[in-house]
Amino acid sequence: MGRLLLPILAVLLLVLLVVSAATSDRVAPGDFQPVQQPAVQEKVDLRTLQARYKVLSKQLFQLMPNQPYILVDTARNRLYVKHQEQVVLDAIASTGSGTILEKPGESDSKWIFDTPRGEFLVKSKLTNPTWIKPDWAFIEEGLAVPQNAADRAEQGVLGEYALGFGRGYFIHGTLYTRLLGKNVTHGCIRLNDNDLKGVYKLARVGTPIMIF
Amino acid sequence: MNFCAIVFLLVFAAPSWGKDIEAFPDLNLNDPKELKEASRVLEEELKLAARPQTYLLIDLSGSIIHIKGRGIGLHQIPIVTWSAGSRDGLKGVHRLAARPPVVRRKIEPGAGIEQEPISLADMPTDYVLSFSPSLRITVVPSVRGDSLLQSAVLLGKVGWRNVKDWTNWLWTDRSSDSSAYLRLTLSVDHAQSLAWSLVDGMALVIRRPTNK
Repeated sequence: MGRLLLPILAVLLLVLLVVSAATSDRVAPGDFQPVQQPAVQEKVDLRTLQARYKVLSKQLFQLMPNQPYILVDTARNRLYVKHQEQVVLDAIASTGSGTILEKPGESDSKWIFDTPRGEFLVKSKLTNPTWIKPDWAFIEEGLAVPQNAADRAEQGVLGEYALGFGRGYFIHGTLYTRLLGKNVTHGCIRLNDNDLKGVYKLARVGTPIMIF
Repeated sequence: MNFCAIVFLLVFAAPSWGKDIEAFPDLNLNDPKELKEASRVLEEELKLAARPQTYLLIDLSGSIIHIKGRGIGLHQIPIVTWSAGSRDGLKGVHRLAARPPVVRRKIEPGAGIEQEPISLADMPTDYVLSFSPSLRITVVPSVRGDSLLQSAVLLGKVGWRNVKDWTNWLWTDRSSDSSAYLRLTLSVDHAQSLAWSLVDGMALVIRRPTNK
């Protein structure tokens, strides 16, 4: 008896499904659906679009640094430390002069003294840095490039701190504070002693630097 | 004690959960066309913001040029007026292929005189930017607030630019998408600021208005 019950139930279920499908077919098209469907559909579409826009906005927001970052405006020679929208430090800086110096003996080769633009990271934090003068520093002064590496080292010209951001570029101090606010450097970013100390304290290795 | 702490957190943290992060605060959330356009721009921007680079977002709806990195607005340049060709030509990500040359000053080795650096004032005020895929952006200075003579000179320059654009249009192969152009009128300072901020290969996304 129990064995028969299961097939009977299955047949009954099938019959019910067929009947309900046939009944639903009997609803005449045009009774009410076409009047209400576009309005409902539009509302659904709008909600989907709103949701999509909000999700994308959120995704973009999540790409923004959630730690303090350094922002450098090379046109106006300003350096800011910002945390989201808040300005934590605002300093007058000196950035690249944009001038060129030809490499002696190499007709097509030259140095261009621009501060690089784009996104960088603080790669190193130094105290009492020594400037290892590159070739251009001697050539610019009309001096011979020394053979001995020790002759390139110069103490006290970069201030008490330096923050390296790659390819030999640093945020450092300066002896020429009267030139702050002008484009006079060979690509590095110069600050006065107080601002440099502030940036050094706020930044860590890995802090993003945005330069435009 | 723990229960109290949870209630405290819920009360104070809950409002920030519901807070909407919106990429375009001027957007009409009830306009499906605006939502679609904003989402398209955000999709493009997400790809750019995921990489360590700065990029341009020309927001024609808000009449603002944004210099951005990681989704953060680094600098804004207001647009006085603008006009454009084909709307479809403004879609997608474009890369800066050609821009006006920068006249750089040469350093004379051993001259001992401070070299005059490049400044914003050295940047051009009316210029053409070529992008890939094919898009041409003409920047012209606004004459607002200038003296009559300055205005006449600027208008002459702009008129000459129009004649050049028109003759170019006559001679170019219109089987290619030559209708992709954008003409931006900026104040003199802002035109120079934009020229300063451009980097070769810089990416550009344009938010198109839906009502123009």
